[in-house]
Amino acid sequence: MRKVLFAGLCLPSALVWLIAVGMAAEPATKAVTNRGDGSRAPGIHRLPLYAEPLEPGKQGDKITKETDPALPFSMRGTCSECHVYKHDYDVIRKGWHFNASDPNVPPGRPGPPWIYTDVTMGTQIPLSYRAWPGTFRPEQVGLTPFQFTQLFGRQMPGGGPGEVDTDADDEITRQMVSGKLEINCLSCHNRDPGHDQAEYAAQIAKQSFRWAATASAPFASVSGSAKEMDDTFDHLMPDMVMDEKKKPLIPTVTYQPQAFNHKDEVFFNVSGKIPADRCYFCHSDINASQCGSEKWEADEDVHLTAGLTCVDCHREGLEHNTIRGYEGEVNSNVLAASTSCKGCHIGDENGRAPHAGRLGAPVPAHKGIPAVHFDRLSCTACHSGPWPGATTDLCKTSQAHGLGTHGINKSPTALPHVLYPVFAKQAPVDSQEADPKPGKIAPHKLIWPAFWGTIGAEDKVSPLKLDTVKKVVGPALQGLKFTAAGAWAEIKEEQVLAALKTLAGSVEEGKPVYVTGGTLYRLKDDGTLSIHQDHPAAAAYTWPLAHNVRPAAQSLGVGKCTVCHSTGAPFFFGEVAVDSPIAAVSNLTKAQYQFQQAPYGRTWAFAMSFVFRPWFKVVAIGSAALLAVVLLLYGLRALGAVARVLAEQEK
Amino acid sequence: MGFGMFQTVADIAFVMTFLGVAAHWVLVPTRKPRNVVQGAVHVFSLLLIEQRTSLLGALKKLAYLLSLVCFVVLAITGFWPLLVRGEHISGYLMMIHATFAPIFALCLAVIAVTWAGENRFTAEDCPWVRRLLRRATRLQVPAEEKPCACAVVGYKATFWLLLFLALPLILSIVISMFPLLGTDWQHHTAAIHRWTGLAFAVIAILHTYLAIRLRMTREV
Repeated sequence: MRKVLFAGLCLPSALVWLIAVGMAAEPATKAVTNRGDGSRAPGIHRLPLYAEPLEPGKQGDKITKETDPALPFSMRGTCSECHVYKHDYDVIRKGWHFNASDPNVPPGRPGPPWIYTDVTMGTQIPLSYRAWPGTFRPEQVGLTPFQFTQLFGRQMPGGGPGEVDTDADDEITRQMVSGKLEINCLSCHNRDPGHDQAEYAAQIAKQSFRWAATASAPFASVSGSAKEMDDTFDHLMPDMVMDEKKKPLIPTVTYQPQAFNHKDEVFFNVSGKIPADRCYFCHSDINASQCGSEKWEADEDVHLTAGLTCVDCHREGLEHNTIRGYEGEVNSNVLAASTSCKGCHIGDENGRAPHAGRLGAPVPAHKGIPAVHFDRLSCTACHSGPWPGATTDLCKTSQAHGLGTHGINKSPTALPHVLYPVFAKQAPVDSQEADPKPGKIAPHKLIWPAFWGTIGAEDKVSPLKLDTVKKVVGPALQGLKFTAAGAWAEIKEEQVLAALKTLAGSVEEGKPVYVTGGTLYRLKDDGTLSIHQDHPAAAAYTWPLAHNVRPAAQSLGVGKCTVCHSTGAPFFFGEVAVDSPIAAVSNLTKAQYQFQQAPYGRTWAFAMSFVFRPWFKVVAIGSAALLAVVLLLYGLRALGAVARVLAEQEK
Repeated sequence: MGFGMFQTVADIAFVMTFLGVAAHWVLVPTRKPRNVVQGAVHVFSLLLIEQRTSLLGALKKLAYLLSLVCFVVLAITGFWPLLVRGEHISGYLMMIHATFAPIFALCLAVIAVTWAGENRFTAEDCPWVRRLLRRATRLQVPAEEKPCACAVVGYKATFWLLLFLALPLILSIVISMFPLLGTDWQHHTAAIHRWTGLAFAVIAILHTYLAIRLRMTREV
């Protein structure tokens, strides 16, 4: 009886214990496997290659050197062999570099837009899937995710719009031909000097999305173009292409046989320690006004020359929730709050451990700089971007101009025209407050949107679809004189009037407008042109710049206050060029203080007061000295009186 | 101490000062009471340079009145944004403040040189101090049984206090203009300027009140 009772108690307990251990053990083991074990030694990636799966959720076919036809490898399939825990790919695709098209992701501080330019239509328009005020969503100009990817995927690491299932009837079969643009892990993680991101960009332009990652790898090459294939093309059966003219254009992969080892594995020289060169492909910029396209003339960011890399500050884990690095950033990344300029250079005085001086960051003394500067200015205002001049410079960036890709226009004046530095007040971001405080003044890049659109209720302007513009406006803009430099071709106001008249018969809602250089052109009821300068709907789009950071010895205000506080100081009174294909508009200028929401009179008077500052100092110090002498003199006399009384008592 | 603490202390200090002055005015009437009209005319006459005085006298008076005007401007421009708007001084207020500040400093220096002599403490100012000294030290300090002229003592004491406080008040802001102090010390000097400014303002109000009061009773 006692044995039965004992067994009756023990058996259920053992069963519960076994189940508990079983439940705990599996995720724990896999979590450790996929998160690394903490070793700083780089993991070696010798991996079998896998093709795109034929069914969702399944692994694709293994690719060997004998596979015929050679298939492009799928990054998702190849990397997921190890990164399967919690479906890592699906975790990664929610990271900052891939989540732009997810409407549930907070947009954060305004960043660089994708800029659609068309010199023939007088168009340069900032686009973004993120809800940054001043940008337009691609679908507003009629760009589907598929088209957007083909245009701008060149400087994306894949994913995002590249993986969206198209719902446009005419694109469904095209997407089957091109494949989806999976996240290309190699875009960032490949440390191999043979990695060819420009070839990746070229494949995207050819709609060869499925082949793009393979083309970028150093052990493979891709020829052909998916764009040239018919809608019936099947990459698994290229022999079915019967058109002799198209056969040489069939997307074809060639792997280097020696890349495969005896287990048909390929060595990927990938690492989490991403070299800056990888980041540069999408995040380069150059001062086109000063250096043209000669990068050797421009210094690198001081952090890079000090030996850091981008990812030392812009850190992320497997979630790829990259730290953007601005003050007040809201990010699930545990290091976000402590990884900004201030986080490393000044630290948190109330922190658990000292942060100042992280990674060897010098702790600034800021001698003689009134503390109010740190309330009003971002660190970058004094330390980043080009030294401000009498007028803004033209800047070319990877994302705007496709730097680093094949066949781009290298002219300094090629569209789009991005201007910098513009010292503007930052919009409040990531604030949970109902009435957030205005942001600090920071250096920005700027673009003056130029586009054809319609104006509706409450003066809200929406851009017209690009196809409509080409069809309707195109004939009115015949005869524009284009230059090889890729700059604006001048548009006359009469041409704008003609185009607006043509558009008036085509648009269904609102009245047609042309926006350029902060000016809004619209058609009056009497058929003449209404010109509205500084229209809010035509305002420039600005986004803060953080790099290149200059050395402390080259920071604004170094040595003297009058670098900024004088009536001719570029920081306040420098010109911000107004960019437009219309001469009457491009001749206009703005001043920096206008972007700081500062009135001219007060700004000028304050600057002027610095003329008298040396006198102020002399008078104040002289007066203080005189006061000190009087106090000392009468203090001594009082002491003498006391001494005299005491001496008399002695007598 | 933080910004909020300063606002609270400053509010209390100003309210207490004005209430104290009002209470004193009511509870301790002047020895030669005048009617309201006469009193007002007399106080207003303080703003005019007496024609009978010498050039030095005129300079003294001018410096005194100018410093009074500067004090009012500096106090308003300095404390208004802090106490009413809850923000640091900036913009036009800052410019006005910085314009009047050196004039004020110069006036204070002139006042220190020209008024120090007649504001020396004398044996007659505080008989009770002498009596206290005699008892405490057993020294043969002569002590008369005259009543204490407290208003005069207060007037002189506030004069010297003002001169003394003017030093950190001026230097705290001037030193911060030179590339000598880092950010922490910039905060400290700003705090020193704020707190000494508050003490200076309270004492200046008391000093002015005593000056008017003594003037009305012809004790000064």
